[in-house]
Amino acid sequence: MSTMPGALLANLPQFVLLLAVSPLVAGCIRTLKARLQTRRGPDVVQPYRDLYKLLRKGMVIPDSASWLFSAVPYIVFLTAIVAGLMIPTISVTAPLGLFGGVLAVVYLLGLGRFALALGGLDTGSSFGGLGSSREMTIAALAEPAMMLAIFTVAIGANSTSLSEIARAAIGQQWRFLAPSQMLAFAAMFLVLIAETGRIPVDNPATHLELTMIHEAMILEYSGPYLALIEWGAAIKQLLLMTLLLNSFFPFGLQPDWSAASIVTGLAILLLKLLALGCAIVLVETSNAKLRLFRVPELLAIAFTLGALALIAGFLF
Amino acid sequence: MHFSLNPEFGNRMVTLMAALVLVLQLAMTAQRWLVTNIRIFGLQSFLLAAIAATIGVFNNSPHLLAAAGLTLGVKAILVPILLERLVARIEIRQEIEPLLNAPVSVLIGGGLTLIGYIVAASFNRPDQVPGAAGLGHNTLAVAISLFLIGFFTMINRRKALMQVLGLLSLENGVFLATISLTYGVPLMVEVGIFFDVLVGVMVLGILIYRIRETFESMDVSRLRRLRG
Repeated sequence: MSTMPGALLANLPQFVLLLAVSPLVAGCIRTLKARLQTRRGPDVVQPYRDLYKLLRKGMVIPDSASWLFSAVPYIVFLTAIVAGLMIPTISVTAPLGLFGGVLAVVYLLGLGRFALALGGLDTGSSFGGLGSSREMTIAALAEPAMMLAIFTVAIGANSTSLSEIARAAIGQQWRFLAPSQMLAFAAMFLVLIAETGRIPVDNPATHLELTMIHEAMILEYSGPYLALIEWGAAIKQLLLMTLLLNSFFPFGLQPDWSAASIVTGLAILLLKLLALGCAIVLVETSNAKLRLFRVPELLAIAFTLGALALIAGFLF
Repeated sequence: MHFSLNPEFGNRMVTLMAALVLVLQLAMTAQRWLVTNIRIFGLQSFLLAAIAATIGVFNNSPHLLAAAGLTLGVKAILVPILLERLVARIEIRQEIEPLLNAPVSVLIGGGLTLIGYIVAASFNRPDQVPGAAGLGHNTLAVAISLFLIGFFTMINRRKALMQVLGLLSLENGVFLATISLTYGVPLMVEVGIFFDVLVGVMVLGILIYRIRETFESMDVSRLRRLRG
């Protein structure tokens, strides 16, 4: 398997997984949320239909847009895919694990976010600029909290490689009960909610101009470009959820990429994603959206939790 | 009916619950709603009772179980009910604005925790006291942090009720330090402390109600107007 086509073939399952499962996760969360609010809600496969519909449609590109406008969807989509190939999903060894650890993942996502903010600014519409400035504010506050939580996990494993982190976590059975792990998990969970634009921070379901963040940036996009951005956002959500699950609860990660382990690993991964999705849905349903000026408070809590986790991890 | 309990597991459970107690204490510094704060305090006391019970079971000290029961009854159930009735009577639900805003308060709480850990680290002598050190060290750090953050809450908040809650969580810190270092003081002392807390809460409740009646607010900075 050391030849070039062999290595590419090894990437294939995870590549397909990222593309195929990410809309499903988004759809599941949407359906669960609707059911919890006693609405019927859209089907689980609705995001696939949306993507299919958008990909067939034509595009409207504003006159004021530059080349940046067309480059942004590709950057968002590709950074999400490459970052997704660096995290262990089914097997402990991530396909592109050698190319970078968790820092590369975080900053690839950062690159995607930066591109999206530029895309929001590019057309010169006031909503786009508003969304970009809000997105960058939240990102600047969420990033330190995420880095502190990640450093806590990385110190435990003596490596920033995600495969090494997962291996170390498998080795120590009771590790997830350690206070530093719990605190880091709580911090990462808050960051996950902020980064994927879920309810206390951003509402993915509305286009209300006073509150929208992610939607405001992509207001000018339509057709296949919008499909790429939405797909990229779904992949980013899947990848952050998997990152959270597999660095703290790496049960059921398979040692290799054989056919049998792909099947069992996929089943376990989907179960874990479903459980985390239920937690997210509960948080979304039981909380109202925060006022924008209260979001820094939430992220300050995440930062403090991350710092405490690092302290607790260092001293003991 | 002797069943062997893994002390390692008990140790981990205690450390975990102590960390949760600390998180709740930090949540209290950020939370504005009075009723939510009272419930957070109730939950914190419940966890404290669980810690006491766990230490009692794993170290074979039955009087700690009595202390756990007292904590559960007095601090996790009775005191929150008394305080919630007080909130219903004075009809003030939300803190207007603490002296420092919520993010700064939480960051200061984090800084105080760091101090707590550094102070507790100087008590860590595993070479001299091999048995007790494993349990005492981490929970002692949490206890000192609870103490400091409770103090900070009393300074930072203007509402009299929040100051009472700060005092109570400070007392929780003292209790945690006691059970983690000495595995419990004699039962009579515990009973005395709990009675003290209960009477204290009642007296402070009456006092808060009087402040509210006199000043139409429970902002303690208004007490300056009492000067002749």
